[in-house]
Amino acid sequence: MSAEFELTRNITIGQYLPTASVVHRLDPRFKLGAFAILIVAIAICNTYVGNLFALAVCLWLFQVSKIPLHYGISGIKPAIPFIIILAIMQLLFYGEIANGGTVYFQYGIISISSESIRLVIVSAMRFVEVIFLSSVLTLSTSTTELTHGMERLLGPLEKVKFPVHAFALIITIAIRFVPTFAMEMEKMMKAQASRGADFGTGEWWRIVQRTKDMFPIIIPLFNVALSRAEDLILAMEARCYMPGASRTRYTQYKAKGIDYAALVASVVISVVMLGIPW
Amino acid sequence: MEKGLTVRKIVIAGVLGAIAILLGVTRLGYIPVPTAAGNATIMHIPAVIGGIMEGWGVGMIIGLIFGVSSFLNATVPLFKDPLVAILPRLFIGVTAYLTYVGLKNVNQYLAIGAAGFIGALTNTVLVLGLAVIRGYMPFGVAATVAVTNGLPEAVVSVIVTLAVVAAWKKLGSSGRQKSKISGDF
Repeated sequence: MSAEFELTRNITIGQYLPTASVVHRLDPRFKLGAFAILIVAIAICNTYVGNLFALAVCLWLFQVSKIPLHYGISGIKPAIPFIIILAIMQLLFYGEIANGGTVYFQYGIISISSESIRLVIVSAMRFVEVIFLSSVLTLSTSTTELTHGMERLLGPLEKVKFPVHAFALIITIAIRFVPTFAMEMEKMMKAQASRGADFGTGEWWRIVQRTKDMFPIIIPLFNVALSRAEDLILAMEARCYMPGASRTRYTQYKAKGIDYAALVASVVISVVMLGIPW
Repeated sequence: MEKGLTVRKIVIAGVLGAIAILLGVTRLGYIPVPTAAGNATIMHIPAVIGGIMEGWGVGMIIGLIFGVSSFLNATVPLFKDPLVAILPRLFIGVTAYLTYVGLKNVNQYLAIGAAGFIGALTNTVLVLGLAVIRGYMPFGVAATVAVTNGLPEAVVSVIVTLAVVAAWKKLGSSGRQKSKISGDF
């Protein structure tokens, strides 16, 4: 019971594993770029061998970045029941929609074809690959580096009047406030519980009841958040913060050979992955 | 965003984005419903509220934060696809804002409630639509999910949006809004 109130302990956002590997030392701009290229390639790729190749690349990334594999696997574990349910449904009901391929079994609306089997296996593999890849990215890059990298990457958009700096600031504020609000929420849950409210003890099928239980937490949470926002607005305006004013930067990034190599490698991997015809 | 991003817009977007992330990582944003999609969600509500309070730009940014965080936290293969997880969420705040502006002059409360409803509906319809297009669900299953998840989501969304925004607007003119110069920037 008490564990349910320990919100702050479970927040792993910005979890960072400093192993000082090559991947950790990559310029965040290039790391993000390479990550985006690989994610897109994985989302498009729908061949068996291509996905096996992608999986191998992910495992290799864990090796290179000196991150123990169980960090990646712990991300997959809670998802296993969902994957299985979804796989069964795709297998049984998708045969008709996925045209082409040989039909192995058909009974009423249930139809299993080689295409629906491919769909099941490929989407499960895709899922594992994306989890592995995003674990490597977040475990090897601190949140500050991530936001800075993103700001620089989006830099060219400033030409078309996209407020890049403001956008990076929004992300920074959001990440900064997550633990604060978690603490607030913990306090509110404890305050409610001390007055006799119970959370999460209702049976799972009583959906309406469980939903109603949430209102006394969610609504004050928004109010607390908005009044904190007012404080922050006042503080920023008092310090003459001007959105869109030109400002200098504390950190400067300089791309090295290895950064370009990483980007080229991700392109090559994607091309190979999409080029495999099976 | 007629005047670009003001300090107020930046901060509100950041703070509501933080709530979207928090609801995701603590799993409090999920209502367990036994259907194919696993859970109904209330994480679109920050985007709706942002859209109503500060316009479509802020709503879109919060939607983006919600989308990215649900993409990174996803336990279902469906939401590990950036096209399904991120793209549809951008429009939640936008439709909520448009609904609010359209109905604002009829009745404030009606406008806020309708915006909450439409925002939730945008999320449901676009996410499931893309799920069907991308081949994660056959159409029949998606339609069932739309009813079993979408309706409770929409109802919860209306209640929370009304409670938060109505309380905020009423108090806003009389001192909750601390900064007196926000309008000048």
